[in-house]
Amino acid sequence: MAESSVHVSVEERLFSLVLALLSSEYGLTKHQILGTVQGYRQRYAVGGDNATLERQFERDKDDIRELGVPLETVEDPAEPGNNQESRYRIPKGDYNLPADITFTSEEVTLLNLAGMVWREGSLSGDSRRALLKLHSLGVETLEPVVGYAPRVRTRDAAFGPLTDALSRRLQVKFAYLKPGETKARERIVDPLAVVQHRGRWYLFGLDQKVDAERTYLLSRIAGKVTVTKKTSELSPHKLGEEGSAARCLAQLDAIWESNIATVNTVAGSDADARLEKRGGSIRNSDASLSLHFTDTALIADELAGFGPEVLVLAPADLIDAVRRRLAQTAAAHALASEQPA
Amino acid sequence: MTDLNQNIAAAATPTFKFAKDKLAFLLSLVPFLIERDEVTVTATARHFDVSENTIREAVNLLTVSGIPGESDFYQHGDLFDIDWDAFELRDEIILTQLVAIDDSPRFSAREAAALIAGLQYLQSLPENAGSSAYAHLAATLARGSSGAPSEVAVAPAEGSSWLASITAALTEGTRLSFSYLNSQGGREQREVDPLRVDSTNDDWYLRGWDHGRGAIRTFRLDRIDALKTTTEPIQFKAADVHLSDALFDASAQDLTVVLEFATEAVDLLGDYVPEGTRVTQHGEFSRASVRVAHFHGLKRLVTSLAGVVRVVSPPEARMAVAEWAAAGAARYAATGTTTSHTTGNGVV
Repeated sequence: MAESSVHVSVEERLFSLVLALLSSEYGLTKHQILGTVQGYRQRYAVGGDNATLERQFERDKDDIRELGVPLETVEDPAEPGNNQESRYRIPKGDYNLPADITFTSEEVTLLNLAGMVWREGSLSGDSRRALLKLHSLGVETLEPVVGYAPRVRTRDAAFGPLTDALSRRLQVKFAYLKPGETKARERIVDPLAVVQHRGRWYLFGLDQKVDAERTYLLSRIAGKVTVTKKTSELSPHKLGEEGSAARCLAQLDAIWESNIATVNTVAGSDADARLEKRGGSIRNSDASLSLHFTDTALIADELAGFGPEVLVLAPADLIDAVRRRLAQTAAAHALASEQPA
Repeated sequence: MTDLNQNIAAAATPTFKFAKDKLAFLLSLVPFLIERDEVTVTATARHFDVSENTIREAVNLLTVSGIPGESDFYQHGDLFDIDWDAFELRDEIILTQLVAIDDSPRFSAREAAALIAGLQYLQSLPENAGSSAYAHLAATLARGSSGAPSEVAVAPAEGSSWLASITAALTEGTRLSFSYLNSQGGREQREVDPLRVDSTNDDWYLRGWDHGRGAIRTFRLDRIDALKTTTEPIQFKAADVHLSDALFDASAQDLTVVLEFATEAVDLLGDYVPEGTRVTQHGEFSRASVRVAHFHGLKRLVTSLAGVVRVVSPPEARMAVAEWAAAGAARYAATGTTTSHTTGNGVV
């Protein structure tokens, strides 16, 4: 049987590449790989043009690295910069999960639940693969009893490209529509963290134009996020710095804590019941409610949805914002404004 | 460990659509098989929550996989091998020859981040608040990651005071009794067999068998009042009924509404426009037909998204929204006009 007629699946080729690079102490050159590894060797032209195969190899390397496999490129000290002579390898010590990392049944059960949080959206693949690796340890989970289904939504279109740029430390560009402005302006940002706070996703990053840290609401990003090829200009120290996400969440908590709206609600209404149960809300002696909020425009949206069940008493800019929204919705739905079909 | 954690819901059986997932599975299967020495196909399938066929295909692939070896020709000694009699006669997997891999792989930075952020979100479970187990687990995951976990974080969900009682009832298998404010604005006494607690971001829901309606219903926890646990055993268990992943099953509703919205705002529409809904493009806006039982919830949603979402049809739905918003606006008529051009406090 001619070897070239053997079909080798993508996973077999990737698996073979990982095995070959793991078992080679000094690494393999690109031509050794293309000439000998299952899935490449069948298509390798000795002494011929292998451009397509080389591009395939580049993509495969990216896929493998995305799985957290430490695929290294070691340049030939005699010929730095010549990637034909570079050697590729996967150091076993960096590949293997450290031997002292173990999980109890309770912990694996809890992590299953943590993974389930992402069962839809762009982190679902990552959490699914994380759980596969976790299960490779062979720890049995506790008896699964259906009882709790947690979910965090990541349907913002910007979420995928932003988290991708974050993990690859690349600068991003996007148009951002600030409330009160009519036109979106372009922002160039080095991403530091992507966080969810009180149900909303935010990007925390270094804005290159103002050279300062800024927090952006993902829902206000207009159009596509461009992940540039430019590596973030943050110093390596700052990039490795853990806790950007925690710092951003702490800032959002502080903003939430300091902003207070006062509203009257119609007794017994949906607004009355739900706003009273909103985190941190206080029922005042005159029956009005004091609510904390992160952003005037966001709470204005929330309060406008309650229609006549809510009357905002303070602050003045929130009153205006809610009134504008109600008037806008009423006008947009007036029957006279209906477009003929 | 806590009650809610034991009450884990079974995730849908994953199918490996992408080569990356299949590779992650192979790299995870090998150390599992090494750890177990001998294990049945059935037990392996159950452990990884995949079909038995997926396991058999993977084992077959393993036996033709290996390294080029001295000869560069993948000789027998360079490949994985199994005890074929055990596999073919008893459906057991016993690796008899190993290649290159003998340990579990590390997590990628994104994989570790996904689980750590998931854990942060779960901290709001009443039993787990402030539990040091989370910090320890997060640190362990970070150590097992091939790079520093990405800075993706989720603030713990705002809990609900009813969670503890509902969790207890779920564990005991007993009926709940509470006053519920329905979306039409009426309060009713409901007798419910709890089946599952769902949370989506900061919103909590109880899924249960509603004895009054004789059907499965979803209840928002922030519309529940005067909740009481009873000693009455539940009639249906979660295993007896099918609970869909969508909180509200719109397909059974008879009113069709056409919504127009800014394309990037689809997330804000939540279960009104479930994933998979056909969305068409109209100029710079998107349109989708959605099904609703009545306009009460819809008018609130649309009014909370001024300038972002608009009801196109039917006229009754447009009128319901217009009246709701106008009634809201009318409440300010008496307070006089204030004009302010500030854009308010908040982020950027």
